[in-house]
Amino acid sequence: MDTFGLKIISSDRVFYEGRCRKMIVPVPDGGGMEILPHHENMVIAVAIGDTKLQFEEGEWVDVAVGTGFLEIVNNRVTMLVQTAEKPEDIDARHAQEQKEYAEERLRQKQSIQEYYRTQASLSRAMNRLKVSKRKEW
Amino acid sequence: MANIREIQTRINSVKDTMKITNAMYMISSTKMRQAKKKLAESEPYFYGLQGEISRILRHMPEIEHLYFDKREEVPKEKRKIGSIVITADKGLAGAYNHNIVKVEDELLKEPGEHKLFVVGELGRHYYANKGVKIDTNFLYTVQKPTMHRARDIAEEIFSQFREGELDEVYIVYTRMENSMLTMVEKMKILPLERSSFNEMKMPINIHREAIALYPSAEAVLDSIVPNYVVGMIYGCLVEAYASEHNARMTAMQSATDSAQEIIKDLSIIYNRARQAAITQEITEVCAGAKAQKRKRK
Repeated sequence: MDTFGLKIISSDRVFYEGRCRKMIVPVPDGGGMEILPHHENMVIAVAIGDTKLQFEEGEWVDVAVGTGFLEIVNNRVTMLVQTAEKPEDIDARHAQEQKEYAEERLRQKQSIQEYYRTQASLSRAMNRLKVSKRKEW
Repeated sequence: MANIREIQTRINSVKDTMKITNAMYMISSTKMRQAKKKLAESEPYFYGLQGEISRILRHMPEIEHLYFDKREEVPKEKRKIGSIVITADKGLAGAYNHNIVKVEDELLKEPGEHKLFVVGELGRHYYANKGVKIDTNFLYTVQKPTMHRARDIAEEIFSQFREGELDEVYIVYTRMENSMLTMVEKMKILPLERSSFNEMKMPINIHREAIALYPSAEAVLDSIVPNYVVGMIYGCLVEAYASEHNARMTAMQSATDSAQEIIKDLSIIYNRARQAAITQEITEVCAGAKAQKRKRK
């Protein structure tokens, strides 16, 4: 099967560089977008969520990603996201604590701006938790 | 000539100070190395973002975005100018803090309503004493810069910019040219300048690859532009952190050197005093012995 070149860059390192068969990325409207080899040239905004990658036929692996975007040019995919983590790198207990902390702050009265910030950190923590329960690479 | 014991205490106290400066030198050098490593790691992300913005601007020069809005309708005297000033949390870093303050003072002279966002304890004290308008809720330290902190700072700036509380935002920080030379730099972070994304003029006969934007151009820019600014702030924080420790390293190095010099001078004086004391004692003993001899005769 055809593959495409994939490069995932997070804010602190180059997370992955290599070939990939398929990938599904979370987009801001709530769904996922599947990218196959020889996709049309495109720039896609990426939301906080779970990106699925397929290196081997039928085997999906997960990456927890933060906001960013993805660019497809000539069958090369470059994904720039704030954070990218493998399930086994996520500290589930820490993520749980973050989630509880964010929920607690959400319950308290606060300014709209703080509310959005807390909401964002809550969704990051939930996503980490979700992905950390998945299969390892 | 000073008393021998006095000189001895002085030497010991200089030695103790030297131990401290030496330790600080070592701490700063490790911290600087870490900061440099961090900076190198975040570089691909940052350049990627920059490249993408310039690509989008190239393909769609007519695109409008809030963060590119120059707000030219606001007259010069009415413009609300915010500046993020990155100083150290403490002194003992040579001229590092003074240089920052000097550049910021210059900026404050320009027309407009100024508001400061100070990162670092030292700068906060300085401007609080001067009576400049400071955002008091803006409490961030410069230690161990993280992406998270950069994000918080950016959020704060964005929300004030969106609400019209700020029309222009600058960041004043110290950039490390190389290990010998650091430069204080004033950089505009909002509104973004199109020209800073060196828009390449493409020849007409070259085929432009068409790029679709999903879900929309605005959504894509919305997810890139804020991240770019966050990246910029993060880069500045790390650069400033590295420069601070570089400055401290140099300052501590020269402090250690001068301590050694003082010890050298003091030990010469000490030895002379010791010699003089011995000589005097011998003379006294001799004189005493002679006197005894004469008496016996």
